[in-house]
Amino acid sequence: MFEKLEKLLTPVANSLSKNKILIAIRDGFMITVPITIVASIFLLLANFPIEGWSTFIAGFFGEGWEQHLARVTRVGFNTIALLGALGIGYAYSREEGIDNKIAGGVVAMVCFLIISPQAHPTFVNEGGSSFRGFSLTHLGTAGMFLSMLTAIISVKIFGWALKKNLVIKLPDGVPPMVMDSFASLIPAAFAILFFFVVNIIFSNTSYEYAHNFIYQVLQAPLTGLGQLSIFEVIYQFLSTLFWFFGINGPAVTNTIFGPIHKALTLENLNNFEAGKPMLNIFTAGFSDFFCNFGGGGSTLGLVIMMSTIGKSSRIKTLGRLSLPAGIFGINEPIIFGLPVVLNPIMAVPFILTPVVNTILATVATYIGFIPITSGIQLPWTMPIVFSGFLVTGTIRGAILQIFLLAVNMAIYYPFLRILDNKYLEDEKNAVSEKDEIDDLSFDDLSLD
Amino acid sequence: MKIVVIFDQGLSGLGGKSNLDLPLTIQKGSVGTGLILSQHLNKVNAEIIATLSCGVNTFNNDKENTVLKLCAMVKKINPDFVLVGPCFDFKDYALMSAMTCKLLKEKSIAKAVSMMSIENKAVIDEYAKEIDIIKMPKKGGTGLNDSLADLCEYIETLNNQDKLDELKKRICY
Repeated sequence: MFEKLEKLLTPVANSLSKNKILIAIRDGFMITVPITIVASIFLLLANFPIEGWSTFIAGFFGEGWEQHLARVTRVGFNTIALLGALGIGYAYSREEGIDNKIAGGVVAMVCFLIISPQAHPTFVNEGGSSFRGFSLTHLGTAGMFLSMLTAIISVKIFGWALKKNLVIKLPDGVPPMVMDSFASLIPAAFAILFFFVVNIIFSNTSYEYAHNFIYQVLQAPLTGLGQLSIFEVIYQFLSTLFWFFGINGPAVTNTIFGPIHKALTLENLNNFEAGKPMLNIFTAGFSDFFCNFGGGGSTLGLVIMMSTIGKSSRIKTLGRLSLPAGIFGINEPIIFGLPVVLNPIMAVPFILTPVVNTILATVATYIGFIPITSGIQLPWTMPIVFSGFLVTGTIRGAILQIFLLAVNMAIYYPFLRILDNKYLEDEKNAVSEKDEIDDLSFDDLSLD
Repeated sequence: MKIVVIFDQGLSGLGGKSNLDLPLTIQKGSVGTGLILSQHLNKVNAEIIATLSCGVNTFNNDKENTVLKLCAMVKKINPDFVLVGPCFDFKDYALMSAMTCKLLKEKSIAKAVSMMSIENKAVIDEYAKEIDIIKMPKKGGTGLNDSLADLCEYIETLNNQDKLDELKKRICY
């Protein structure tokens, strides 16, 4: 059965993880992750989930202190599409083999700005002048899918012109920086011209802007899909199923699910910041800290049991060595060391545990035990209890994590016992069947 | 067929980055990733009789001596075959593997093979002409099981030089 499944999954993993466009989108948004985490920390400081926090800090810095932090938060979240265009443009240039990658990124960003609304006739000040400029709404979450499309298409045009050698050639001896800059001129012009025309076309339709069109026909339906309960279950199931075969699951699944997760997360953040109700359950924080904590397969519970109730010296030693990293969400030592990968004994709990976590955490959200996660992005290495508290803003988030950890232990327990007994038997046999290997040691080795 | 495998600290189940200083260690039978390997090796009647492990820091601190000690231990055990891998894209382990296989061959201690992914290009470029390095995916890449099947085919073909040369064209760098 495993062989058949592997034969089915390998081509899927290959085509998704080798697709240049999907890789560029995944890696391009990855470039924005440090910015959203830093912005999240600023948001968290402004809204720390302790009663009286705001008044307490106001005692030091005066009323309205949060507004200073909000400047950073706003740039981090509300320019995500703009930063995404730059990141995706850069990553796609790399995938397309364009030498001047940053030029590709900048062209993508410029093209995105060209098709973004620059005038807002409905925003009028007291003097009767309307607002001219870029609005954070269009450069933020709502523009994410348009920024992906724009970055890919603009870099494709840019790369096409470069390959066709439609470039200005300067004589030898001109410094390379100047040479590169001029070489990008005509390719950039082609890309800009294309989006100039696209913008004119949309301005003659009822949509007015490409933003409105893409949001309505692509982004809203896709994020709608992400709001379905089955979305997260499928994501978690596939991610660990791939890992079981030694394939980096999230690297494959995030090519499809990543942008949707990101949009759902940032929608919540925008609403959180604006004091509006949050609607999306399946944010990145929900996924990292409730569905799959302690590494792929949600193995923290397994590692804790290995180090405490493991009987074979192999399991106990590996458990103790893996626990410190496991607390911070890293399970590399057990993936190949236990091993988990391609180990039929571990297949069931490894794949089942994140799915069970997802279902339980979703139910906990529906019945109101925990609130919808605010979308605050924390480093995925943050230990549970702290992460549960911070992403939900309530101690119940931490309680749910402890409950899930206990459930995870119960799922892994019988399978760990089977493996532990097997290793224990191996170790006993090794002791009873003495041979010359038992007497060998590196300490008394002669190097003749 | 009696096989000795040589692992880094992670593959032997003696900790990942938390135990880089693991000294040279010998364990009887198969441990850690050996469990995955054994599922394949059983099919070609091959058995892991001992596992030698070495932390990558231990190797990096004194490469020549570490490799010499590993080879001396292999000589004492006197197996039919030595596998130094699978190294995935682990840079230090890949170099340790290539250096060990080369010395085992030079000193005619035992037949040995290395396995690593293309990400270790520098090591492959330097050693692939002198030793056999079986192709495999990087950590998290596709095709791990296929590369282990290739390893078994390699072991099965060890005593048929013509066939082996033909096979190497397909599965080795």
